[in-house]
Amino acid sequence: MIEFLTPNRSTMLQRVNPAVKLVLFIALLLVTVQTRRIDFAVNQAAAYTLALFVLGGFTFRKTLLLVLPFGLLFASSSVTMIFFGKGDTLWWHWGLLRITEESFYRGLHLGFRSIAFAAEGLLFVSTTPSVRLFYALMQSFKLPPRFAYSFMASIRLLPMVWEEFLIRRQALQVRGAQVKGKGLKGLMEHIRMYAVPLLSQSIRRAHRVAIAMEAKQFNGKGRRTYYYPSRVSWSDGIAALLLILVPIAAYAAAIAFPWIGIADVRYHA
Amino acid sequence: MDVDVQDTREIAASVQALRLKFPGEPGFVFKDLSLTVRRGEKVLLLGPSGCGKSTLLQVLGGLIPHVMEVPMKAENIVIPLSRGYVFQDPDTQFCMPFVDEELAFVLENRGIDRIHMESRMRKALQAVGLMLNDLHVPVDSLSQGMKQRLALASVLLLAPEAIFLDEPSALLDPEGRTQMWESVWSVAEGRTLVIVEHRIEEIADRVDRIILFAPDGSIVGDGRPEWIFRKFHRELQQFGIWHPGVWEEFGRKLESGQEKNGNSETEDRPDPLLSLNRFTGFRAGRPVIQVDAASIYPGDFIAVTGPNGAGKSSLLLSLMCLLRFKGQYLLRGAIMAETAGASWRQRKRARPPSDQIGYVFQNPEFQFVAESVKEEIGFSLKIGEGGNVPELEGKVQSFLRSFHLEGLEQRHPYQLSTGQKRRLSIASAVVRGQPILLLDEPTFGQDASNTFAILDYCMAMRAEGAAIVMVTHEEEIAKRIATRIWEVAEGQLSERPTGSCADAKARMIP
Repeated sequence: MIEFLTPNRSTMLQRVNPAVKLVLFIALLLVTVQTRRIDFAVNQAAAYTLALFVLGGFTFRKTLLLVLPFGLLFASSSVTMIFFGKGDTLWWHWGLLRITEESFYRGLHLGFRSIAFAAEGLLFVSTTPSVRLFYALMQSFKLPPRFAYSFMASIRLLPMVWEEFLIRRQALQVRGAQVKGKGLKGLMEHIRMYAVPLLSQSIRRAHRVAIAMEAKQFNGKGRRTYYYPSRVSWSDGIAALLLILVPIAAYAAAIAFPWIGIADVRYHA
Repeated sequence: MDVDVQDTREIAASVQALRLKFPGEPGFVFKDLSLTVRRGEKVLLLGPSGCGKSTLLQVLGGLIPHVMEVPMKAENIVIPLSRGYVFQDPDTQFCMPFVDEELAFVLENRGIDRIHMESRMRKALQAVGLMLNDLHVPVDSLSQGMKQRLALASVLLLAPEAIFLDEPSALLDPEGRTQMWESVWSVAEGRTLVIVEHRIEEIADRVDRIILFAPDGSIVGDGRPEWIFRKFHRELQQFGIWHPGVWEEFGRKLESGQEKNGNSETEDRPDPLLSLNRFTGFRAGRPVIQVDAASIYPGDFIAVTGPNGAGKSSLLLSLMCLLRFKGQYLLRGAIMAETAGASWRQRKRARPPSDQIGYVFQNPEFQFVAESVKEEIGFSLKIGEGGNVPELEGKVQSFLRSFHLEGLEQRHPYQLSTGQKRRLSIASAVVRGQPILLLDEPTFGQDASNTFAILDYCMAMRAEGAAIVMVTHEEEIAKRIATRIWEVAEGQLSERPTGSCADAKARMIP
């Protein structure tokens, strides 16, 4: 999983200072959350998905693979709103399901925003190695090193837990251990069978890592230097400009060439 | 309590009248222990498992009580001004994903300027014999032995006057072990070394001084290696500590035991318990182990050897039907259905042949399923036979006895010592009387007494006609005990003749 999500392509966005990028993307996500105009949501979804192909850290094929589930995301987030949302202009109804004009457009709006959200998130994750992000956060945002390094150390430990999960599963198969009970009781039994050995290993391992780190004179005090300096340069400015331009262009396009033309999809009774 | 950071030039580390006790444990680990290590000395702390040598190492290096809080008291403690540690587990010494980042972590902690970092890293890596052109390589792409050398390199970046090594080679294969110790000796010049290690082939004759501990944490002997091995030979044997000649002693014991059984060889071999023909095991769709033809007969003791990652574990897993396989697999005459390329429904039906094959995992904890030792042994029995409680009870009791676990019936498996866990894992794997036993590196990281206890059980089962297949890095097991050797290299199994003492072995085949 970790290998799968490792970027395998270098784009301009990857060279941007991760701290700057984090701020930018939080701003972009806020814009997406606050979007009311349906055409703006459609344009954002399209623009960020396109950006994912052009600027994202994954090759075209892998990006395509990651974008395909967007359809599912769109359906799942819009369907409930379409079927159950409030509205006055009734189009169709069957039992509890009512589709009204308002709920229909609100559902579409929700779906497009979900896509935009997912694309923005992937764009950030695929261009930002976690180590670089933590280094930038330590230097630019004064994140205490003990938190930053704890996170980085635990990311390293994750694949080991997965490996142990597989070993535990095989061991249970060999021992012929079958989960007794169904439903909630079965689930609890499942958790007991897996959680105890995995947790006991993980806790001991984390303890050992912590001691090894402290033995290397890591104490959270004193002056630190940084192997990866976090500098802000011209290219960051250009990237920032580009990323700000995306929602502005999407908004302008929504005003100039509306698809549907609803300025506020919210339901006002 | 005084903690001096090295006042005299002569002394590297010392404790006077140390008393230490772990919370919740009844007895003291140390009671009035005094010890001094001089500067530049290379000292090996030797003792049975659980005698507290690792704890002492942590006290001498200042980890206790500064990093780990353990209640302790001492009249005087001196710890080295600058010190570094190499720990046992290669996977839990690093916090960063890449080699350069990990080394940089140490330099960052010391506040070294960025521009000096790379040259220092290269120098340290060179000192431990790790030749990397590009420093930005994932730590996990290194072998276990290389990881330990990387740990040593990062210790060097601390510019330590004393290096503390806590069983650094216990989890390495023989090749990694040799290379790691070579690196240690090449950087030891002018530094103090304090070592805790079970396997001492590579170090016994190179240390200046051995301090031998008794199980209760008191010092039995303290002096030059030759003197210790000569004077305390009986204690070493009694405590179950690795020492020169330990394998010969075990070999002699085995032979004298075999003599009584008499020679019943020469007859034709019985039918094989298991046979493979054009057998391939797959992991995630890729072939990982290929066997042209191989058979296992009753009374076989097969050592499976080969480098790490060659496919030894995959072989055992596919024999257990835990990996998909293709080809002919006969288990006591019955054909095992191929699982590679089979339909989902067919695969769903395939179960590990637990009634025919016992399987012992490398880490015992993963195979425990019950809440107490007694239930753990009874667990497989209940599945196998169901019913007849008194008979079951008796069988559990006899297993508890023969695996030396009496008195621990109600204990949770996790609360056992390492050796007890290992014994319990074997007991619960073989309790159904399976004719074949597969073991994945059961002696890894174990002390001599545990190792020989495991081997004793295996020999006893073999004498009853079971076949043992053991993945092992231990050359001595392959050389002295195994009746056959399977070598796995690059996913290919081949049989190797059993080497030098083949005649001696011929007598041992029942």
